[in-house]
Amino acid sequence: MTPALWKSAANALLEANLQLTRGSFTLDVRLTLAPGEVLALLGPNGSGKSTVLDLLAGLAAPDVGTVTIDGAVLTAPGRFVAPERRAIGLLGQDALLFPHLSARANVAFALRVGDAQLNASLARKEADRWLDRVGLKDFGDSLPRALSGGQQQRVALARALAAGPRVLLLDEPMAALDAETAPFMRQLIREQLAETGTSAIIVTHDIVDAVVLANRVAVLHDGALIDQGTTAEVLAAPRNPFVAALAGVNLVVGTVQNGAIVAPDGRIFWVRPADAGDLDSTGPGAAVFRPASVVVHTEQPRHASPRNVWSARVTAIEPGSGGVRLRTSGDPEVIAELTPAAVADLGLQLGSTVWLSVKATEVSAYRR
Amino acid sequence: MIPRLLYLPASIGLALLVLPLAGLLLKVDWPGLPALLLSPEALQPLGLSLATASVSTVLCLLLGVPLAVVIARSQPRVAGLLRALVTVPLVLPPLVGGIALLSLLGRGGVLGNTLELAGLRIPFTTAAVVIAQTFVALPFLVIAVEGALRTAGVRYERVAATLGAGRGTVFARITLPLVAPGLLAGTVLSFARALGEFGATALFAGNQAGVTRTMPLAIYTAFNGSGVTTDQAVALSLLLIAVAVIILVLVGTRRASVLS
Repeated sequence: MTPALWKSAANALLEANLQLTRGSFTLDVRLTLAPGEVLALLGPNGSGKSTVLDLLAGLAAPDVGTVTIDGAVLTAPGRFVAPERRAIGLLGQDALLFPHLSARANVAFALRVGDAQLNASLARKEADRWLDRVGLKDFGDSLPRALSGGQQQRVALARALAAGPRVLLLDEPMAALDAETAPFMRQLIREQLAETGTSAIIVTHDIVDAVVLANRVAVLHDGALIDQGTTAEVLAAPRNPFVAALAGVNLVVGTVQNGAIVAPDGRIFWVRPADAGDLDSTGPGAAVFRPASVVVHTEQPRHASPRNVWSARVTAIEPGSGGVRLRTSGDPEVIAELTPAAVADLGLQLGSTVWLSVKATEVSAYRR
Repeated sequence: MIPRLLYLPASIGLALLVLPLAGLLLKVDWPGLPALLLSPEALQPLGLSLATASVSTVLCLLLGVPLAVVIARSQPRVAGLLRALVTVPLVLPPLVGGIALLSLLGRGGVLGNTLELAGLRIPFTTAAVVIAQTFVALPFLVIAVEGALRTAGVRYERVAATLGAGRGTVFARITLPLVAPGLLAGTVLSFARALGEFGATALFAGNQAGVTRTMPLAIYTAFNGSGVTTDQAVALSLLLIAVAVIILVLVGTRRASVLS
């Protein structure tokens, strides 16, 4: 990681430097957010993403660290501003609408705690305008239990924005929604963040969230930020298997040897000539190839024109975007994508031993 | 999908609960009932019971809800200790509670002496009735509300805080409404417990007509009274049952059952 990436933005809205140790888990994160920016925080389960949000929102305190917003210190040694005075909103996986209040009253609650002068009838009118913005004009009187999961989440978004947060934290807001509702919600969040000019940090598992919503991506792994950059940069050259899996590619992080990448388990990946030229000296490197480039055989291929051939066991067979995804053993595991018909033809089952091949021309390589 | 064998003990259990009350109804002197119920010996204790149990229930709410909140939001070990302390009066025979209250507030008691110097005498007053009832009823309220608070969790409260709501607002507008069913159940239970309180009252407050003779004490007095028939006791019991049933119906049995 180049030091330049860690430099705080000149006009940062939010700056955080957080350290926390809980048992064997250590979190050490520095991040900044520019005004109007949307940052996607990616990372596997247990990497500390939600902890980061709690620390920013003031729902937890770091062992050591600072959080400033617009220059105002929210968290620092000897100082801790309560969550209700931070103007940092939180929209989680569950809408958590107050069950005893109607959709309108839920939004009005946020409006009135933000502005004690606002009288009840004005708050109701303003709440109706917010409901209209999220496409729920006619649902003001509905109690949360009468709304679908997607509708509840839309009300929760309206409520969170109505409070006028300086930063909105989104913790996997589409995770609990079904496949039809999630894209709609994602677009709505994008629109509303843009319209209100709200800066946001979104924690997600879903690469689509990062692509659609975020200007910038930070990757959290084992409590540390291991990659950061514009969404396009990070996804184009994933430095970590988690991001690679998100981006839908196989990523082999290993060492450069003689123009090839050697995986931790010793497999050698020959790479396309254009990249091989960069691999003349040893050092850390990574190979990237698409699952669709992996050819699956039941016997060792005889006339192997592809230069990368190895055998592995099938560890999982799951539906993928382009057909069936076959996970195969190894360090790292390699994912092959093939049609359902091919899976049937080859008689593939869990635990089957297969031969895999990838043409060197399909493998790109990066120095790390 | 119930094993048939369970129906037998279930029926016996139900019979055990219902048959005594049915037996009571059979013993009622129906023609003489209006006179018995409208006599001062019935109306005075009823009025005293309703008044003291209402005051006790209000005290339970004022003291018990904050106590429940503190327990529910404490660290698990502290909460466990507090919960155990609150439960003790619940499992204690009320008579022991009465002796304990006398030891503290009675003549020669630690606080009793101090109060005596200030010119306050608690035992054998209506105030003692209220204290005894609150002592036995408070655990019901605390446990019901604390359970509801723990079930509700802190997630809504945290969201409310991130929306900018201060602690007082969150408590009044989010926390209390969320635990309303538990609060209602706890209130009904503590009122019923206060209404039925006998042992602690008898020892700590005595049995003075018009001052400390609540319904249960009146029933006991009528039942044990020399030369008096048990008709009065039966009539008063019927009245107490009627009051309890009316409360349950008013509150709605469905909502009261939230506690279980």
